[in-house]
Amino acid sequence: MLEMQQEMRKVAKELLESGEATVVIGWEKGALPYQTSPVLIRSAEETEKLVWDEYCQQNLSNYLIDFVYSDEKVAIFAKGCDTRAFNRLVQDKRIKAEQFTVIGVPCPGMKDRKQAAKGVADVPLAKACQECRYPNPVYANRTLGQPVTPRATAPDYSDVEAIEAMSADEKAKFWQEQYSKCIRCYACRNVCPACNCTNCIFDQSKSGWQSKDINASENQFYGITRAFHVAGRCIECGQCDMVCPSDVPIMLMNKKAKKDLDQLFGQYDAGLETESLIPLGRYDVNDPEEFM
Amino acid sequence: MERVGVFVCHCGSNIGSVVDCAKVAEELRNYPNVVHSVDYKYMCSEPGQNLIKEAVKEHNLNRVVVCSCSPRMHENTFRACVAQAGLNPYMFEMANIREHCSWVHAGHNEEATAKAIDLAKMAVAKVCKNKELKKGHSPVTKRALVVGGGIAGIQAALDIANNGYQVDILERTPSIGGKMAQIDKTFPTIDCSACILTPRMVEASSHPNIKLITFAELEKVEGYVGNFDVTIRSKARSVDMSKCTGCGTCMTKCPGKADDEFNMNLQKRPAIYTPFPQAIPNKPVIDRESCLKFKSRKDGKDVCGICAKVCPAGAIDYEQEDEIFVEHYGAIVMATGYDQFDHSVYGEYGYGKYPDVISGLHFERLVNASGPTMGHIVRPSDHKEPKTVVMVKCVGSRDPEHGKSYCSRTCCMYSAKQATLIRDHCPDTKVYIFYMDVRTPGKGYDEFYNRTREEYGVEYIRGRVSKIYQDGEQLIVKGEDSLLGRPVEILADMVILADAMIPQNDAAKMAQIVGIGYDNDGWFTEAHAKLGPVETHTAGIFLAGACQGPKDIPDTVAQAGAAAVKVCGLLSKDQLETDPCTSEIDPALCAGCGHCVGVCPYKAISLETIEERKAGKTISRQVAKVNASLCQGCGACTVTCRSSAANLNHFTNAQILAEVDALCQTIL
Repeated sequence: MLEMQQEMRKVAKELLESGEATVVIGWEKGALPYQTSPVLIRSAEETEKLVWDEYCQQNLSNYLIDFVYSDEKVAIFAKGCDTRAFNRLVQDKRIKAEQFTVIGVPCPGMKDRKQAAKGVADVPLAKACQECRYPNPVYANRTLGQPVTPRATAPDYSDVEAIEAMSADEKAKFWQEQYSKCIRCYACRNVCPACNCTNCIFDQSKSGWQSKDINASENQFYGITRAFHVAGRCIECGQCDMVCPSDVPIMLMNKKAKKDLDQLFGQYDAGLETESLIPLGRYDVNDPEEFM
Repeated sequence: MERVGVFVCHCGSNIGSVVDCAKVAEELRNYPNVVHSVDYKYMCSEPGQNLIKEAVKEHNLNRVVVCSCSPRMHENTFRACVAQAGLNPYMFEMANIREHCSWVHAGHNEEATAKAIDLAKMAVAKVCKNKELKKGHSPVTKRALVVGGGIAGIQAALDIANNGYQVDILERTPSIGGKMAQIDKTFPTIDCSACILTPRMVEASSHPNIKLITFAELEKVEGYVGNFDVTIRSKARSVDMSKCTGCGTCMTKCPGKADDEFNMNLQKRPAIYTPFPQAIPNKPVIDRESCLKFKSRKDGKDVCGICAKVCPAGAIDYEQEDEIFVEHYGAIVMATGYDQFDHSVYGEYGYGKYPDVISGLHFERLVNASGPTMGHIVRPSDHKEPKTVVMVKCVGSRDPEHGKSYCSRTCCMYSAKQATLIRDHCPDTKVYIFYMDVRTPGKGYDEFYNRTREEYGVEYIRGRVSKIYQDGEQLIVKGEDSLLGRPVEILADMVILADAMIPQNDAAKMAQIVGIGYDNDGWFTEAHAKLGPVETHTAGIFLAGACQGPKDIPDTVAQAGAAAVKVCGLLSKDQLETDPCTSEIDPALCAGCGHCVGVCPYKAISLETIEERKAGKTISRQVAKVNASLCQGCGACTVTCRSSAANLNHFTNAQILAEVDALCQTIL
């Protein structure tokens, strides 16, 4: 990883010195070893801040939305999931691909920072990284290093199936417990590359969709609605799980939606390309009309 | 301030015998914003409507809720009533306490009454959020398209044309005429099918208001009632229609051979052909699948070309290509007809492999004077006249297991007709008909059936055939006479199976192209089984003939006339009122993701660029925009839009939330 870190610093320096980029988005060391954070580098000297370690899990692509109307030339380092997020934003017409320079970085998988925070001796990979099927950039202007072998070849739905096996009452109890922990900080929404609306319905307080109350019912409504909103568009980066301060298993619901959609409309992995229409965003005369 | 009047309808005993209507009215009287609430026996009757009008005046109502049947039934009635009372017609809501309540909860009166109260409260909650809406207007293209050139299409086109409107007939085969052209005689009068059809074909082709588009396919239908844009693919005929004189020399010299579909493959036809001698237009096409020249071209060679050499007009054009063009119409009549069930699924009838077991339509060609046998009834296998013929009815009909669950309506009569024709042509031939029931509802039909038995001596045997098998030159037909309760075995020379009528094999695809519904069997769905039999749920598209369900010729012609009247009624208007219940997009909320564009079945949404001030500078960004005249108000965009920028007028998010709130409060 050190080798890659040197390469990243070198590339960032070149980009900034040549004027090809005025800002480079990457990662820097945090206060604690597992708290590696996103960083915006604007000068060649600052490039020494850039790091590439086992805690670079943050998906950087969402930062690009802030530069859509800026004159700055932005370059961004991107793992497999960052590039899927990049495609997500392009497909949702929030950014234009040609405006940005994407430097792909094949990803060996990032460690679970929540486990690290607990002081676990041998920190495992984050769940999303363990299940990652696309660690190599799916879109990039240039890619550093050598491609890595995906850590999984097929989606692992064992966790979803465990919930599916529960009775309705057990499911209700399970989710009630999970969402009574939720503090509605909206961190999962803010970090999500699929949650990129300019006006989120959860911020439209007068519309009547959702009250500001924090209780299990309102929280579940929030959770279910968000799962529907990202259904078919989730790129499985696991950022929501990573940032949740209450450890609500948010990806579990996203995975359930993906499993169902794949069954209904055929296998679709979001963010691999930008041409095809998303499963819930297309009208197809061949869609089944079993209800008619 | 909302002042809502609630009117609860008994619908005679339809609702009143299950739902306690007086209690519903009483409960609603105390509901917020309700100032007047009554029940009445028939709200849709004139006195019922007067009740609404008077109450609006007396109680100064500004919103009305009627608890009665489905809005499909009477929404327009009550909207008109509310408008006559001086309110905007959209300040009205209907709670369906019949189809959604009394009819499905009979015997559970208490629960049904509680549900009716909930439904009424939801309607009140919604109507309080209703906005005054105004209908828009759109122009009408005064020209109709008839899809299908059989008798249904020809008749519909003639009726429209005779009313003074332009009409095009789109036919996919080289000639108009359809199935009726293949039929020999028609029941119950035994007049020659061609003799009554061909004058209509000629009339259609020479009518100044009718244009024939033959050998062409419907590719795409866009637009909406009054303004359809139809994309048509005119298939390459390989013959220049403007030069061809229809002399037919090419057909006599063509060495290519293909199965003659018009004669049910009982003989061969040349590769350059007209389907039948009276074809219109009477100009041939080249069937490129069986043409020697086109076949040789696939192997990189280029042989034959005899038709081009012998054509005195120089009309043969091997390089012709399919032509795609767009035409504009105000209305469309679907008259795409039917197909014949394939009896080869029946093992007991020999899986279609015995040459002398034929279908009804095969027999029509056998007995036809211009058919392959010049009208001599002979067995296909050895061309001998059959001495014993067995006919089997309901082959594929009324058999949900192997075929279709419905009755094909025409088989009883055409089997009787074919039996009399056999007895006329070959008086020594015995005819047996196996039947389940004899169904003869129609003018002169039962009399015809009786004559078939009594005067023509055709023997009817009530029972199913269990097996047909070949025994030497003959066929052994085993069955049961269920009236006598004993097995029957007949040594037959020929068996005619009365195959069911089924939809065209691409009926579902066709329905999807034009945007109309179809049932499980594939028949196109009419708007209402009784009160809208020629309309579809898509405004401006009508049905004629067997594409809607099995029909005989008289019914088909009658329905074609009915469809034509509907078309003329539409085309007689200079502009149409458009439904204001369409979607709108709030550009302030829209992020411009465009997923609503992909999900819209009517292509009513597009992205447009707007300019905005953002962070001290003017930026341009894309937002979605709805074309209200294309929007059908399905609401697909509103459920796709995550930021709730898309909102369907009259079914807004606020209205639906109010309904949900009303319902949830009741449960708590």
